[in-house]
Amino acid sequence: MTRDPAAGGAMTPEELRAAIARQFGRSLHIRTLDTGSCAVCEQEIRLLAAPHYDLHRLGFFFTPAPRHADLLLVTGPMIRAFEVAARKTYDAMPGPKVVVATGACALGGVYPADPFTHGTVDAVLPVDVWIPGCPPSPLALLHGLGVAVGRLAEKVRDLPFTADDDPERERAAP
Amino acid sequence: MTLWFVRGLRRGVVTTRYPARPDESAALLPSPPAFRPRALTEDTARRLVQACPGGALQLARNAALLFDVGRCTACGRCAAAAPDAVTRSGAWELAASTRSVLIKEIPLRGEAR
Repeated sequence: MTRDPAAGGAMTPEELRAAIARQFGRSLHIRTLDTGSCAVCEQEIRLLAAPHYDLHRLGFFFTPAPRHADLLLVTGPMIRAFEVAARKTYDAMPGPKVVVATGACALGGVYPADPFTHGTVDAVLPVDVWIPGCPPSPLALLHGLGVAVGRLAEKVRDLPFTADDDPERERAAP
Repeated sequence: MTLWFVRGLRRGVVTTRYPARPDESAALLPSPPAFRPRALTEDTARRLVQACPGGALQLARNAALLFDVGRCTACGRCAAAAPDAVTRSGAWELAASTRSVLIKEIPLRGEAR
């Protein structure tokens, strides 16, 4: 096995991305972190291991220990009481590591920043991939994990979220 | 006793082929709204902003509607507030490695009546 020549010095983002894709290409261990979610995101994450989605076929595994994890799957709006635990979990992970913010709570869509919660995960942790959805379905999570390891392409960049068809015409022709 | 085995054989493989092949069940998922710019007046846009409980919709200064897909919970209240201007997007592969690409600018092309 050859050592990465750039690993000693500073890596450019492109090199880092290539290294992550190479190292995490076939086996990636996921640690989930609930920072105050309603547990529906957790239900969808659990479904990833069910026969219908079976994320193990893609080389993803769940691990209970941050020390063994490559990817931190964070749900919830990051309540302030959990901030220390979140930082410790992140620090305990060996590098290179990826942080994925999961669900509308983690992206700031449900709770505003107030004395009890930060409102978003990126207020505390350096997030690499954001997965919208309330909750994100297992398929959306699979796509997000694929984006996080550089295996699947991002699609949302090119989606305009506009529909240009005429509602009048649509109503006339059912 | 061995019926589960026969049932399993009859059912075949239930595991999705995604991402190698598309999954039909994705069409049934709740999805964020898509907007019809020609049906959007500034008035309608203001109504949509008011209807959105998560703050995913905001009015921009240059007469556009800012839609933050990341904050959207697909609750459907915007579609209820203005059924002519809002429809289903059907998009679900929404993961992004840059937060800003999730914020979409929707032009307002509707004419005020």
